[in-house]
Parts: sequence; C-alpha cells; structure tokens
Amino acid sequence: MPATAADPSPIAGPSAVTGGIGGLLRSGRASRGLVTILGATILLFLVSLVAQPDSLSRSSLQGMLPFAAVLAVIALGQTLVVQQAGIDLSVPGTVSLAVVLVTHVPDGDSGKLLPAVLLALLAGLLAGLLNGLVVSRLGMPAIVTSLGTNALLYAVVLGVSGGSPTSTTDAMRTIATGALLGLPHAVWFAALLTAGTGFLVKRSVAGRRFEAVGDNPVAAGLAGLRVKRHQLAAYVWASLLYTVAGILLAGIVTTPSAFQGDSQLLPSVAAVVLGGTSLLGGKGSAVASVVAALFLSQLNQLVLTLGVNPATGNIVQALALAAGVAIYTIDWPAVRARLRRGRPRSAVA
Amino acid sequence: MPATTRTTTPALSLAGVTKTYGAVRALTDVSLDVLPGRVHALLGENGAGKSTLMGVASGSVQPDHGDISVDGEQVPVLTADAATRLGIAIVHQHPAVLPDMTVAENIRVAVPAGRMSTGGSTRAWMADLLRTVGSTVRLHDRVDGLGVAQKQLLEVAKAVALEPKVLILDEPTAPLGADQTEMLFEQVRKATARGCAVVYITHRMAEVRRIADEVTVLRDGSVRGTSRVADIDDDALLRMIIGRELAAAFPAKHPPSDDAPEVLDVTGLSGEGFHDASMSVRRGEIVGLAGIVGNGQSEFLRALAGLVRSTGRITLDGRPIAGRALVDATAYMPADRHAEALMTTMSVRENAAVSALPALATAGVVDRVRERAAVDEEVRRLAVKTASIDTDVMALSGGNQQKVVLARALLAGPKILLADEPTQGVDVGARAEIYQIMRDVAASGVPVVVVSSDAKELEGLCDRVVVFSRGHVVGELDGDEVTEENITSTVVGAVTLRRQESGPAAESGGGSRLRRLAKGDYAPSVVLALVILALGAYTFAHNTRYLAPFNVSSVLALLSALAFISMGQTVVIMTGGIDLSLGPLAGLLVVIASFFLVDGATAGTIVLALVIMIVVAAASGLLNGVLVRYGGFTSVAATLTLYIGLQGVSLLLRPFQAGFISTGITDLITATTGSVPLAFIAAVVVAVGLELALRLTPWGRGLRAVGSHEDSARRLGVKVNRAHVLAYVVAGLLTFLGALLLMAQIGVGDATQGVSYTLSSITAVVLGGASLLGGRGSFIGTLLGAALIQQVLNATTFLDLGQSWQYFFQGFLILVAAAVYTQARLRSRRAT
Repeated sequence: MPATAADPSPIAGPSAVTGGIGGLLRSGRASRGLVTILGATILLFLVSLVAQPDSLSRSSLQGMLPFAAVLAVIALGQTLVVQQAGIDLSVPGTVSLAVVLVTHVPDGDSGKLLPAVLLALLAGLLAGLLNGLVVSRLGMPAIVTSLGTNALLYAVVLGVSGGSPTSTTDAMRTIATGALLGLPHAVWFAALLTAGTGFLVKRSVAGRRFEAVGDNPVAAGLAGLRVKRHQLAAYVWASLLYTVAGILLAGIVTTPSAFQGDSQLLPSVAAVVLGGTSLLGGKGSAVASVVAALFLSQLNQLVLTLGVNPATGNIVQALALAAGVAIYTIDWPAVRARLRRGRPRSAVA
Repeated sequence: MPATTRTTTPALSLAGVTKTYGAVRALTDVSLDVLPGRVHALLGENGAGKSTLMGVASGSVQPDHGDISVDGEQVPVLTADAATRLGIAIVHQHPAVLPDMTVAENIRVAVPAGRMSTGGSTRAWMADLLRTVGSTVRLHDRVDGLGVAQKQLLEVAKAVALEPKVLILDEPTAPLGADQTEMLFEQVRKATARGCAVVYITHRMAEVRRIADEVTVLRDGSVRGTSRVADIDDDALLRMIIGRELAAAFPAKHPPSDDAPEVLDVTGLSGEGFHDASMSVRRGEIVGLAGIVGNGQSEFLRALAGLVRSTGRITLDGRPIAGRALVDATAYMPADRHAEALMTTMSVRENAAVSALPALATAGVVDRVRERAAVDEEVRRLAVKTASIDTDVMALSGGNQQKVVLARALLAGPKILLADEPTQGVDVGARAEIYQIMRDVAASGVPVVVVSSDAKELEGLCDRVVVFSRGHVVGELDGDEVTEENITSTVVGAVTLRRQESGPAAESGGGSRLRRLAKGDYAPSVVLALVILALGAYTFAHNTRYLAPFNVSSVLALLSALAFISMGQTVVIMTGGIDLSLGPLAGLLVVIASFFLVDGATAGTIVLALVIMIVVAAASGLLNGVLVRYGGFTSVAATLTLYIGLQGVSLLLRPFQAGFISTGITDLITATTGSVPLAFIAAVVVAVGLELALRLTPWGRGLRAVGSHEDSARRLGVKVNRAHVLAYVVAGLLTFLGALLLMAQIGVGDATQGVSYTLSSITAVVLGGASLLGGRGSFIGTLLGAALIQQVLNATTFLDLGQSWQYFFQGFLILVAAAVYTQARLRSRRAT
C-alpha cells in the first residue's frame, strides 16, 4: 500500500480565548474573591438589619469592631503565608506571646509599655525568621514547621506568664479602644495595615514578584527571582502582623489570658479561604481576607444577639466556608458535564 | 481504512479520534489499526500527538470523539483499568513508577497476583523478569533512587509481565544504552512471536527500519500517511514528518562577520551533569547545543544563566561574571513550559512583565502605564495571539504561551538569550515565527544559545553548533558544517561511548544493609524507640516512681487514645492529604456517647450508641473525602470546614459538661492485664495489623501508590478517587476507636475535649517519619510517635519541669524530627 500524504496545511495557532469575567475583573482591578466576599458581607449586614437590628446597634458594633480588626490583621498575615502555598499554625503562639509580653512585662505600669511592645515585635520577628528560614532553606512543610514553632512559642508564653493572666496597662487600653471619628483605634490600625500590605503586594516590584513566586516557585526561580527571600518575607511579615494583632488584643481585653491567641487560628484560615485566596498559593487579595474577617465577626455577632445557642455560629461558619470554597474551586461547567455523562472524573484539588 | 477489508482482525483499532485541550487541538480524526503479531511504528515530531493518541489507546486520556475497538469489539469507554483487563499494556515515555515504593512493590501493583504465582516463589519470578529485560536493580531497592534507564527497564518489565495482547512502547529507547536497547528489541520480537500487537512510538527513523512492519506518521495531530515499512523510503517518510520543505520553515542565516566581538566566553565550566565545557558566543550569532537529551547540555545552559552552581570561568563582554550578576545579565527560557516557565494562574501581562518589573518601576512601585505599554508593544512585536494582555496565560495555545515566555525574557533586556528546547510542544506555524524572532534578536545584538534535541532544527536555525555527550563538549560545527547529518553523526559517534547506567549496587558499595535501613521507612521508628528508651532511663534515674505500675499503666492508657487517632491521621497523610477534623470528631463522638452510655443503659442502647458513633465517624470521613475528591477542596479547606462544623454540633449538643459515662462501661474499656491496659494491647495489635496491610495488601499498596505519585497510580489502574475517599473514612473509623478510650478517660460529655487531638495526631505522625507529601509512613512509627508525645508530657512532671518545658520539648522534637527526616530524604535523592 503506498503512502497517502494527507492535507499538508498546518493547523494555525488557535486564536486566544477571551479571559471572560476573570479578565474583566482583573483589568477592573478587583479580584473575584473580593467581589464575592464584599457581596456576601453586604448581604449579611442587610440580613442583620432585618433579622436583628440590635446586632447593628452602636454598642454592638463598638463591641464587635475591635475584635474584627484583630482578626483582620491576623488574616492579613495568614494570607501572605497562604500565598506562598503554606499555612501558618503558629498564629496562637505568636498572638499569645505578644499578649503576655505587653501585659506581664509592664505589669500595669504604662511607662514600661513601649519597651514591652518593642520586645513583642522582636519576638514576633524571631518567630517569623524561624518559620521562614526552616521552610525556605530546609524545604520543610509549612504546616509542620509552624506547628513546632507554635509549641516553642507557647513554651516562652508559659515561661513569661506562668499561665496566669495579668491586667492590661491603661496606656494600652487607650491606644487600642480609644475612638477616632467614631471608629475604635484598632479599626484604624487594621485599615492602615491592610492598605499598606495590599499596596505592597499589588503595586510594588517586590509584591508582584512575591505573587509570582507563590504561583510557581520553580518558574520564578528560573526567571531569575529570589524565591527563598520572598518565601522568608511571607513568614516574617505575617509574624509581625500577628504580633501587632496580639498587642491590640492586649488592649481590647481587660485581663487577657495566656492562651488568648488560641481562638484566632481557625478563623484566620477561614477568612483567607473565604477571601478567595487559593490554599495552593499564588495570587491573593489582602483586602478580601480582611473583608472576610469582618464577615465572620459580624456573623458571630448576629448569632450572639439573636440569643440562640452560640454553637450555631460554628455551624453557620462551617456552611459559609463550604459555600465559599465551593464557589471558588468547583469547576461548575465540568460538574454539569459530568452529571450529564454520569461518569465521575478526578477533581483538581 | 475499515477493518473489514483486512483478513485479520486488528488487535487494536482506533477510528476518528479527536481530542482538544482548551484551545489546542491535540488530535484530529485519527484512525489507526494495529495487527496481531506485527510491530506498528508511530512516527512524528515532538508535539505531533503521538503520546496523546497512545494515552487514548491505553485509557488514560478520554477522547472527545472516536471509537476504540479491541479484537474487533467496540469499547464504549476505555479506562486505564479496562485497558489492562482487555490486555493493553503501555510503557510510558515518562515511566509510570511509584517513587516511594520498592521495585518489588511496583511490580506487585502492576501485575495481578495470579500471573506471578506460577510455581516457585514470587520473588524469584520477579527477579527472573527483571533479568530478561536487562535490568540490574534489586527487588528491595526503592524506585526513588534508580536512574532513568533502570526506571524505564522496570516499566518495560511490568508491561512484558502482563503478556499483553497489545503492547504500546512510547519512545522506550531514549534513556537506554546500546545493550539495553538490544535486549528491548529482543523482548519486542518475543512478544510479536506470541501474537502480540506492538505499537512502537519513536522519532528515530533508524529504529523504525530495524523493528517495525508498518508505519504511521502523525503531524500536528493528524495522520499524514500509513505504509508498510518496506514500501517507503526515508525521504518520503521525512516529507510526511516535517510536512514542508526545510528551507521554508527557517529564516535566512546571518553569520556574524569575523571581527564580531565575543559576547560570552566560557572556559572549563564544570557542574552537576557537565564537565570542563568551553565555548564562546559572538555578537549576532545563534549557537546551538546539540546532544541526546540528558547529556549535560541543559544543565550547562542553566549554568550559563547562573541558575545552578558551577566552577570555571565565564566572561561577559570581556568581564568575568558570576552569581547574581550573571542571573541578571542573562535571560533563560526553560524547556518545560507549564512546570518551569509559566505562572499558571496569572495573566499574559503578569507573566511577561515579571522579570522586567524593576525597570518598569519608580522607587520600587510598578508604574502601571509603563508596564502596560511595554507588554503591549512586546506582545504586538512577537505577534502573540491573545484577546488582551489581561487574558489568562493558560487560555493561549502552546506556541503563544511560548511567545509570552519569550516576551518575558526579552523585556528583561538581557545581554544574551538562553533557550532550552524553545519549540517543544509548539505547532508548526508558531515554530517558524519563533525561529524568526530568535534570528531578529540575534541580529539586534543579543546572541542566542539554543539547546535542542532536534538536529533538523539546529541545522536550520544555528550559525554554529556545539555537541555535547556525557557532559563533555565532543565537537563543534561551524558555517556550512552545520547540517543535520553532521550533527547527528557527531552525536551518534559519541553515543557509542556512552556509559551504560549501572545498577544501584555499584553506587552504594559496602555497608549497604545499614544504609538501606537508614533510608527505609523504619529508620524513624528505630530512632524514636531509642529516644523513648533514653528519656525513660534518664527520668527513671531521677525519680524511681516513674516506672511505678500505676504511672506506666496511665501513660499507656493515655497514649492509646492518641495512637488510634494518629493512626487515622497516618492513613490520610499517606495519601498526601491531612485531616484537621479528627480532633473535633473524637470530641463529638464522646459527646454522642454521653447521651446513651450513662448508668442504667440497656444492652440495646449501648449497641445503638456504638452504631450511631460509627455511622457519624464514617459519614464525617466520607464527607471529607467527597469534598476533597469531587468538590475541588484542598484537604485543609475541606477538613477545616468539618473541624468548625463538628465542633459546632458538639457545642450544640453539650453547651456544658454533662452526661456521665457509666462506670461499668469505663471500667470495661480501661481494664488492664498486669499493669498493661488492654486498650494499649489493642492499639499495638491494630498498628501491626495496619502495618502489614500497608505492605502486603492491595489496599495498602494502592494507598501508598496514590500518595506516592497519583498520576502513575491512575495509569496503573489504581482507583484513585476511591482510595482517597476510603482513606478519610478509615481515618474516621480509627478515630472512633480512639474516641472510645477518650470517653473512658474523660468520663463525661464535654464538647471542648478532643479538639487538641488534631494537632497532637499530626505531631505523632510527623515524629513517626511519615512524609506529608504522601506515599511514605508507618503505623508503627506513628504509634511510637504518640508514645513519645505522651511520655514527654509525663516525664516532665517527674523531672519537676514545668508546663513550659512540655511545650518546649514538643516543639523541639517536631522541628528536629521533621528537619532530620527531610534532609535525609533529600540527601538520598541527591545521591543518585
């Protein structure tokens, strides 16, 4: 049988598919995560207004906002770590250490507050360096590293405090809970840090490269970027943010416990996920995480003021989280196709 | 050509197969018949669609359209599993081996047990099998440490062992030496003698002549012709493969004038994979680096870019340069576009600009207007086909993606451009454009160095070609000498000298038993056992009450609860996932028990309670598994969701401590024999049982296979989704056992207990030496890890150390253990 040479015309390079909504949003400078969580938060406040106006009363908001601000600052840090495909379990230790340092060191003496704050920041820096160096240089998984670091931090927390709480200083209380233009100082702190971090990540050379490293560290390295340095920066910057959050917390709570940071870990990860930052790393939105922190805090507040069992809050949170992840990660067209074909295919995690 | 016109029914028949990936058409209406007892060669360039077509034939790729028939019977949906059952075996170009498992285990996963137990011992059978394909590895070697050739031979052995009706070989000889190739051909002849139909994929015409009966040529995803090998000459084949006259595809060369200045000069450069290599590049030139893949040319190119360590001398524009300065002065384009070049979730603009950002910024802040203008201009200049520069880069075709990578390199304003296989997986049209761009770049004063395994490409593109073999420069061709024949003969001439990869036996040398133990899954267990003994001895020396029966008994009881939950965690971590919800699940199960297992509970109530607990545990695992495998959740996201949800349910059911567990039941659970709790014995028995199951049963091998290399496991026919989901369910059930012990210890329904077990269980698993990347771990190790955690908590009180020290030791242990294990693994990988 002779050879049958078929049509010799080469296939032209297929014309590019449009970026769709993703492209539109990108050029409009807002991520899909931010749009989604903003919508959900506005919806939540509307529901609160209808279902339980008390949850939006002045006193209720004054009670909720400082805690929301603290969670927001922590979520900001967690976002940076998640952008490098990590997860930071040392949040509780870092926050608690900051709390005990700014309460136990001054022991009620406002004059000793400044050195205590500096000491806390130094401790945060060291914790971040430990996490960052071990992860970036030794190639250890972030989840294990930060788990170990967290235990070491708690060793220091207990060494400093003996496990007992101490009342906060007056100066710290004023700094954290005083109000400017009707908003608690803590909220202003959070807003400033969010704006600063968001600007750095999205607009600076270092931040843009930071996101590229998180997306594909191998490619980033081969493109000439300093991968380890960017990874280290994520952990250090995050740890300093947790420390600031801890310091604020020490002013908001009159007699903060030595384990004050424990309750912050899961909400911080939840906020990052709800904000649409992929746990696989890459692009993320600091602002979206912060809005998600506000969302979670208001959700708690609503449940609280409704007077139902507080545990309902957990369940609602879990449902919100599941819905949030599902919106971002499920490949809906594929699901529809799969249902039509009735044949399961492996999901892309 | 329809099958009915044949006298013999084709063993494998593909008809009208079409497959698209996003915007890229990989296969268009491809038909292929393979007859029993014949070797059918599939010829084509890189990216012609050969591997995709064979993926379709072996069930790992699902076509958009087209029919597949085996032995004349149409198969509606061909999965990897079904393909194996129908007698189709494939040797992948990238071996589908499981790196974390041994050679023997890799064979066991691939070959049904029935086929191996033909009298005599299975191990002898496997050793025999390896000998027939020319492999020198040992059965207990971990595949991770094998070289490419040995992995390839293992892959061949697995396929041959199945005595398939259809054997597909995808470029099998690429990493093999001459003797090994000869043995492979021998196996192919044996197979056809048995009546097996062989599909032989290659891009070497010489091999087609040697072994094939029929040949089909693919180009750009379509069949360009089919013929008997004897009826067609090389020129005709070549025309079908490349499709157009050579000259048309390449731009005219502009060889630099003799007085063109030298831009780059390399003297005696050595590094991993290349040795004492020297070359120079002049302004205006395109220099090619030729050689068979894996002969050091790619590594050499990376060294030129300053991306890997090297010794020797590099001068750029007459000045010595090294380190960071070299990285900044050069631009490098990797061969593997998806894995090594693109930021896959980012846009064209973000990908293109990333290297050039400092030049587009003022005071460290990126100037958006300048950035857009620069990227826009570059994208237009390179004729990148994209809707806008804000389009996702993954929406582009391969050729246009490569142009984006090229744009990134050029925007950085390099002094020299270094490209590794720049046209791999790029369609013909875009390929010609890329050649033109490179020529323009060279003409503009930035010399280009190209690594390519395609001699035709080097002939058409390069002014000068440097040939690599075994990491050495073995020849240089200049001007008119740069022809495909010259390049190939220099390469081939050197190939005869190519050292055959030796088996690992030669590498490890003496003391290999100890080394093997140190690299094995049980090294962490041995270390842990020693640490436990040492800590025990030290504590006992300080305080003899430490070994009092009461204390021993209570420590063993406490560690048993943690051990069960940690074993559950081990199952999930073995798949490469993590289960954060196990702690709250344990807590919820205790809370549930506190409603039923109170004083006066009847036997019926007790059974009911146990059933409810088991159902809840299994359902929680199932939900995790489904979210992870079918919902696109990462394991952290899924199990975190359940963590919060389960905790909420617990608090809802028991806002306050209440519901005392009947002492009759707790006494039963905490019963001891001597000072050893029965629960501890149960934990040991379960750990040993699971350990054996992990090593010896299909479930265990499937679990490790999935965690070790999911894609390989799928191609081997392991039911990947099922293995993952089952892992979460088993984790839930083991947590149920742990919860029973926890319930007896707490004695009351308390929603806040249990939560801490999540982190403790992860700690125990890490101490036990499991890899969080999956594929490796041991239940014995986890048991010992749980023991060490509990021992540290207990010993600190006997040593009069405060709670602070408990935390310190835990943190210290986990960091040190993880660091030691990670480094040990990296070293063993690097050693080979």
